[in-house]
Amino acid sequence: MRRAIPVLLVALLSLPACATSRSNEIRCGEGGAGILAAQAVPSATFVPCITAFPVGWSYGGFFAKTGTVRFWLDSDRAGIHAIQVELTRTCDTSGAVEVEDPDAGPAVRRFELPVSLEPRLSGSTFFTFTGGCVTFRYDFAPGAPSTLLLEAHQAIELFPRKEIVAMLDDLGWHLCGAEAPPCVGEGGS
Amino acid sequence: MILGGHADVLAEVVQPVGHREWQRRDPLRYGQTFVTEVRVDPRTEIGGRRHFANSGPVMPEGGAIPRRRRRPSGEPPPLPRELGVSGKLLIGLTVLAVVTVLTIGIIGSAEAPIQRFEPRLVAAIARIRVPWLTAVMRAIDDLASPIALITIRVLILAILIVFRRWRHLFVFLGAVLSVELITYGLASFMGRPRPGGVTILAGWEGFSLPSRPIADVAVTAVSIVYALLPHGRYRDLAKYATAGILVLFAASQLYLAVSHPTDVFVGAIIGVTIPLVGFRWFCPNDVFPVTYGRGKTAHLDVGGRRGDAIRKAVEEQLGLVVTEIKPIGLEGSGGSTPVRLTTAASDDGASRARLFAKIYARNHVRADRWYKLGRTILYGRLEDETPFQTVRRFVEYEDYTLRLMHQEGLPSPRPHGVVEITPEREYMIVMEFFEGAEELGAAEVDDSIIDQGLGMIRRFWDLGLAHRDIKPSNLMVREGRLLLVDVFFVQVRPSPWRQAVDLGNMMLTLALSTDAERVYERALRFFSEDDLAEAFAATRGVASPTQVRSELKADGRDLLSRFRTLAPSRAPIRVQRWSIRRIGIIAGLSILTLFTIGLVQANWRAFT
Repeated sequence: MRRAIPVLLVALLSLPACATSRSNEIRCGEGGAGILAAQAVPSATFVPCITAFPVGWSYGGFFAKTGTVRFWLDSDRAGIHAIQVELTRTCDTSGAVEVEDPDAGPAVRRFELPVSLEPRLSGSTFFTFTGGCVTFRYDFAPGAPSTLLLEAHQAIELFPRKEIVAMLDDLGWHLCGAEAPPCVGEGGS
Repeated sequence: MILGGHADVLAEVVQPVGHREWQRRDPLRYGQTFVTEVRVDPRTEIGGRRHFANSGPVMPEGGAIPRRRRRPSGEPPPLPRELGVSGKLLIGLTVLAVVTVLTIGIIGSAEAPIQRFEPRLVAAIARIRVPWLTAVMRAIDDLASPIALITIRVLILAILIVFRRWRHLFVFLGAVLSVELITYGLASFMGRPRPGGVTILAGWEGFSLPSRPIADVAVTAVSIVYALLPHGRYRDLAKYATAGILVLFAASQLYLAVSHPTDVFVGAIIGVTIPLVGFRWFCPNDVFPVTYGRGKTAHLDVGGRRGDAIRKAVEEQLGLVVTEIKPIGLEGSGGSTPVRLTTAASDDGASRARLFAKIYARNHVRADRWYKLGRTILYGRLEDETPFQTVRRFVEYEDYTLRLMHQEGLPSPRPHGVVEITPEREYMIVMEFFEGAEELGAAEVDDSIIDQGLGMIRRFWDLGLAHRDIKPSNLMVREGRLLLVDVFFVQVRPSPWRQAVDLGNMMLTLALSTDAERVYERALRFFSEDDLAEAFAATRGVASPTQVRSELKADGRDLLSRFRTLAPSRAPIRVQRWSIRRIGIIAGLSILTLFTIGLVQANWRAFT
């Protein structure tokens, strides 16, 4: 029994490593991952997030560090990491064609850069806005229908940073950067 | 009869027929002489006759056994188990870290006071930032950069490989992997953002709780302390240095607003506790000391509190006053801490004597378990044994083998009993010290010694025993008498293979001091040609102790081949034994290794 206790403790502590934690998901308007994304690129006025998963889609993972946020979506038909969403301060849109996107709003510009249609659908969509850029990269398994791209686009939303700031302010927790009060400690750097 | 141990069996007397008789003087305090007559008659050996016998039970002649003190219920043992200051501190901090994590995890929503208080604290620190201090803190942060850490870790690995400290190496890798997995898993589970409302002045990655950089620095620093530095002053100094480094690095993390205080605290606890427990558990200094000189120098400390406890325990439990405790033969002993005890002369006539003792602690039991697991993987059921589960069983078994040898008249040390130092954790077995004896390799070996060695094996066979560790360092010579020490590996009803190996190793050991032809010729007086053929068909490679193999190599005469030429031809007996258990263990370990490699590969970013 005495020997089992440390094993149990390690197992309990390791469990989260084996499971996909919900706190890893950048959900619109909830969870720590969205706040972390806003902190990673403090200049960005929008943060990409997931509204709801269409049937057959699931969360593939999350990565955030200073200056970059990245997450993936997996599909039972389009494959693992079929969609990669990345938020950075800037991005290279050369070669991409700007398209109208009434859903994105006036503050956001959309660019399309298709790479191939057959045998597999792949390419990138860029959303640029003040202080940031979201790259929506898709690379589907061969034979996957192109309608899945539409589904994936519908699952992702650009959430205004000012709304995150306001929500956190209500909780007494302050975010600084774009659309927020200035950060403390700027002068000491 | 062997297992029974009745006194009437001991009293059996064999008629004198041989050419040698020995007297043994009891080294204990009584000052009386005990007579053990041992005779060898090679002419009567084949056919299962015994060669050694006692003239009677070993008891003081007319002397009363001294009264010994029984420890009353509730009285502490000679060496009570105590955690020590560092142990208590570590447990206290760990409990605090677990409580903190649980508190934040369970009730730690953004509304919780701690979630609001800590960012404010970090912001307060940020308000006092000044350029020069910021530069210092950035420099400290850079020292623990991923490139710096991986360089240090590679250096640790290189040093451990150069010094062939494999156990430490695996514990180090395991500790790093565990820390990375736990911090990553916990961070994902907690999902705590970085401090809010403040400019973060250093690079970061992932969630904030626990602080992975702190954990990385801690696991690396603690591993240096326990895997590279020898026990003693330098290690103690390094512990303080590690604490200082962690404090400095924690301060930089807070100043640069990368982490909250709780993140730093929990990260440090994880990074310190895991390698600390790992090294203490799998590489205890008593058994696997870190040394850079020759041999092993650090076993259980027999001075200080333990020394006092040994003195007290021996006096109370054996009725002997110990005046000196001296570690001896540490170079060849990984399985115990051997010591020589000097006892005082007493008023009731006991003379000053020296005794041999071996201290067994839980570390030794663990080491034995890993050793046997390794043997099982490499050779299958070569040793036909299962590991001991407790140190009590460990010491009880050696006491049993000593008494068995003594009862059957084999020339092994006389047992004096077991001494309890810390219940279930530490015991000492006390036995006769062969004063004035020298190792077989250093002694003059004549036909009598050869006959005694061969007769000893014949006796083992007749009794249904195997020694299983016949080698020069376990055979001593004193006044023309061959003595056998270290009977811990003795096995009752061993496999025929194991018995044949004993004979092969004895003949090789004797031939190292003489020559193969002479030993073979003498052996024919004790064994049939078929026995000898079987011995050298079985004695192959790892079946011989390392010392026998290395001395054979140094000797250069290829004695094994010479014996095989002399003996009738027989097909080799294979060493490898396959069993379901062995296959299962190998398969399990292979899966675990592949899983670990997969995890490392998948989390390579975390390591770099």
